[in-house]
Amino acid sequence: MEKEYSDWHDNPTMRSWHPERLNARSECTISDVNDLNKPWRFEEDGLTVTRTSPWSPPGCHPVGCSLKLYTDEDGKLVKVEGDENNPVTQGRLCVRCLTLKDYIYNPSRILHPMKRDPKKRGDADAWEEISWDEAFALIKSEYDRITKEYGRESIVCFAGTGREGGTMAPFGSRMLCTPNYCYSQSGYACYVPRMAASSYLLGAAYPEIDYAGGLPGRYDDPEYEVPECIVIWGKEPLPSNPDGFFGHSVIDLMRRGTRLIVVDPRANWLSTRADYHLQLRPGTDAALSLAWINVIANEKLYDAEFVEYWTYGFDELVERAQEMPPSRAAEITGVPEEIIIESARMYANATPAAIAWGLALDQKANGMQVGHCLIALMAITGNIDVPGGQRIGDKTMGLNEAGFGFEEGLGQELIAKMIGAKEYPAYCGLILNSHADLTLRAMETEDPYPIRMGFYAGNNLLSCTSAEPERWMKAINGSMEFVIAFDTFMTPSAQATCDVFLPLATIAEREGVVQTHYGSSPVTMGFMNKAVTQGEGMSDMELCFNLGKVLNPHLWDQYEDIRDFIEHLRLGKKYCYEDIRKEVVLQRYVGYRKYETGLLRRDGKPGFNTSTGRVELWSYAFHRFGDDPLPYYIEPQFGPESSPELMEEYPFILTSGARTYAFFHSENRQIPYCRELNPDPLLEINPEDAKRKGIVDGSWVKAVNQFGECVMKAKVSPIVKEGVVHAQHAWWFPEQDGNDHGGGAYDTFRSNINNLVPNFHFGKLGFGAPFKCMICDVVPISESYDTDMDEIWEKFGKLV
Amino acid sequence: MTAFGLLIDYEYCSGCQSCEVSCKEEHGYPVGKWGIRVMDDGPWEIEPGHMNWNKVPIPTDLCDLCAGRTAKGREPACVHHCLADVMKYGPVAELAAFMEEKPKQVLFVPQYKPYEARGAFVSARKDDASRRRAAAMEVDANAQVEFATHRDDSDVRNVEELSEQ
Repeated sequence: MEKEYSDWHDNPTMRSWHPERLNARSECTISDVNDLNKPWRFEEDGLTVTRTSPWSPPGCHPVGCSLKLYTDEDGKLVKVEGDENNPVTQGRLCVRCLTLKDYIYNPSRILHPMKRDPKKRGDADAWEEISWDEAFALIKSEYDRITKEYGRESIVCFAGTGREGGTMAPFGSRMLCTPNYCYSQSGYACYVPRMAASSYLLGAAYPEIDYAGGLPGRYDDPEYEVPECIVIWGKEPLPSNPDGFFGHSVIDLMRRGTRLIVVDPRANWLSTRADYHLQLRPGTDAALSLAWINVIANEKLYDAEFVEYWTYGFDELVERAQEMPPSRAAEITGVPEEIIIESARMYANATPAAIAWGLALDQKANGMQVGHCLIALMAITGNIDVPGGQRIGDKTMGLNEAGFGFEEGLGQELIAKMIGAKEYPAYCGLILNSHADLTLRAMETEDPYPIRMGFYAGNNLLSCTSAEPERWMKAINGSMEFVIAFDTFMTPSAQATCDVFLPLATIAEREGVVQTHYGSSPVTMGFMNKAVTQGEGMSDMELCFNLGKVLNPHLWDQYEDIRDFIEHLRLGKKYCYEDIRKEVVLQRYVGYRKYETGLLRRDGKPGFNTSTGRVELWSYAFHRFGDDPLPYYIEPQFGPESSPELMEEYPFILTSGARTYAFFHSENRQIPYCRELNPDPLLEINPEDAKRKGIVDGSWVKAVNQFGECVMKAKVSPIVKEGVVHAQHAWWFPEQDGNDHGGGAYDTFRSNINNLVPNFHFGKLGFGAPFKCMICDVVPISESYDTDMDEIWEKFGKLV
Repeated sequence: MTAFGLLIDYEYCSGCQSCEVSCKEEHGYPVGKWGIRVMDDGPWEIEPGHMNWNKVPIPTDLCDLCAGRTAKGREPACVHHCLADVMKYGPVAELAAFMEEKPKQVLFVPQYKPYEARGAFVSARKDDASRRRAAAMEVDANAQVEFATHRDDSDVRNVEELSEQ
């Protein structure tokens, strides 16, 4: 059937970028001999060069930094370089894609489907290689048996983060047809609490700082204004590139005059270059942000016109903020009162100013209220949707898959069965996920119904995402009769709990589309071009389509092939993949002040897409959901105020999960060049505390609290204040045995900081978890677990 | 204005740390603070019989290039006392010319307390009366409240419906 495509050139929000020189980087960073404006594929010195804008794997938040993949006559990848044709990165590249070759041809990568008797879960030697046909037949027979007996709601699709599979909602809604697509982190303590604040208050998806990524002239574009100040709040964008935000853009802007305020319990590279570093007690962000509102309102530093015409509930907000004068916030947060006042003034006076708000907000029960405060700050200072302020998408832009064919795939009856939909509609309705903690409870208690089958989509929950990981392991193994893993490498989660392992294709082996913020706050849209074949891996798109056709053909017959599915899911049925992929990357131009032009609302009228049509500082939606319509502060559940009786035993405030350049969460541990940068799991402790505890730099320590313990290597450093420790997350040891010798598969429970983090500690609307505001003690131990880099090199350095 | 710097020939830096200590003596910096630090890369094997081991003095954010000494025409304390004689002080253009002469050299242009150097933040735009202000427009309420993060061609859910279930 001939398809009717639109021409993407006719879409004013999509633009190609063909400069004569690099315009975001300094002179002399690229030679006269370069590949600017070369086609998507070209030849050079006997090698074929394929340009591509990848998503995953290896995992990454979807920046889509473009790559040049050099393949030889045998189709083997011999070199990877950053592609200077990407308007944002302009050839720059981080270690995780620089080592792509070492990932693709890593000797421990799984290249073929495998099965294992469910009775032998955890036995690393019991896997048996099978064909895709056999794997699909086995999955179909188990799927039919289990769904017949227990219903499709008895399946949970565990989503992770950063991988395409981590947000690939059709795995749940259309391939497995279960309403229980579940990000397995307690309280969805990642991104979604912030998205809730922006969705309900702003009527738009995530407001990102405007780094001119969608403008042809980038920072020099006449439409753009360099922000006078960027506030980095609970975020470490340089290593994390969160949700498609190319973190080093902050440095581009610092070079152009932007000044910084950093709000973080830890010192980081950016904070050492900031005008103010507000080193607050972990988990007290709401107090600090309310105090900023207090200062800005009482000193009348806000944008009076924007407040009057475009916000709702300002007076109520100001009244609420009176409860949090800077003096009180200083007591709560430990940040001196005058620093709170001066930094609030700096943010309000800077014109324009932008807040880069990070994951740390989400990792507390009170996180959505911090999001509320920050949206309010962005609004009352007049920085929403202005050049150099906070950039938002228009009404056609949103998360491109949460609702994709959702009702058609599930039907009303199954949708109503989504675990947690009744109890936490603000959570489940927003992201169309089952509630993580209630899903854990369902596995443990069969309330509201039995759970019998699972599927891991880009998730290694035992090492990374889940609190109390051993509890999750027991719940999965105790309830599920059949579990499928889909990944590039054997993970501790797959080893401990899965019965079928399906190999996943890497970015060099696949096609697809990558969009910043999953399409919701677009800067670029990139396209993946396949350059190599290694093993039998399928991409997330391919597995969803191919296995979907086997399990639920009635939902998949409408797509001719994978590309047709890509066009439907990612390109809104409008554009021809074969044509658009040759662009490799397009800029998304969205313009500014769209609330004045009607581009934010479906009815085309001016205003925001909220109930009142204004930015709601007093939230109708929160009120409707039964929460306080105004932001408020509550203490972290554990700490000097909430649990003074525990502080003698567990005197440290524990925060966790700061990102590194070497790793994307639990990935890259088997890539020698990455591991060499950070061989061991680190716990940062202040020199004064270390002295008191008898801990020396580089020695091993035990972190312990009422929920569990783990061992880490001490990094004695003033990065953290006295009384606070920070532990790295997501550790496992692919060089160790996959069989559990007491520390979990690949020793993943040995150094897993999530052992110390409980489930079921979320906020009133179901959001948040205390990954960044726990308590613990730290004690020296005599054992050493130092990684032997020679062993890593021996095991993983010989590429196949 | 002429920029001054430190040229360091790290082929011959022995790591004696006289630069560090002479700097501390000169400035009175306490234990735990430095005006220059010797970074130590090695030893690690390049190939059997050959090790990589380089010591490189790096001026810190407390290096003022011995402003008090150089104002009187003397060289910085580190340059003066360097046992291996690997440091030179002077105008950057003159030092750069030395770099033509041999490999394994590095030229530093330090900045003393950069946070003081850049001064307190003052907005250049806040009080600009000609800036575009937010428009005064009438805004209508929306007929329904949506989960606004979803793409428009997907199943957009309605907040009212869901919270009434």
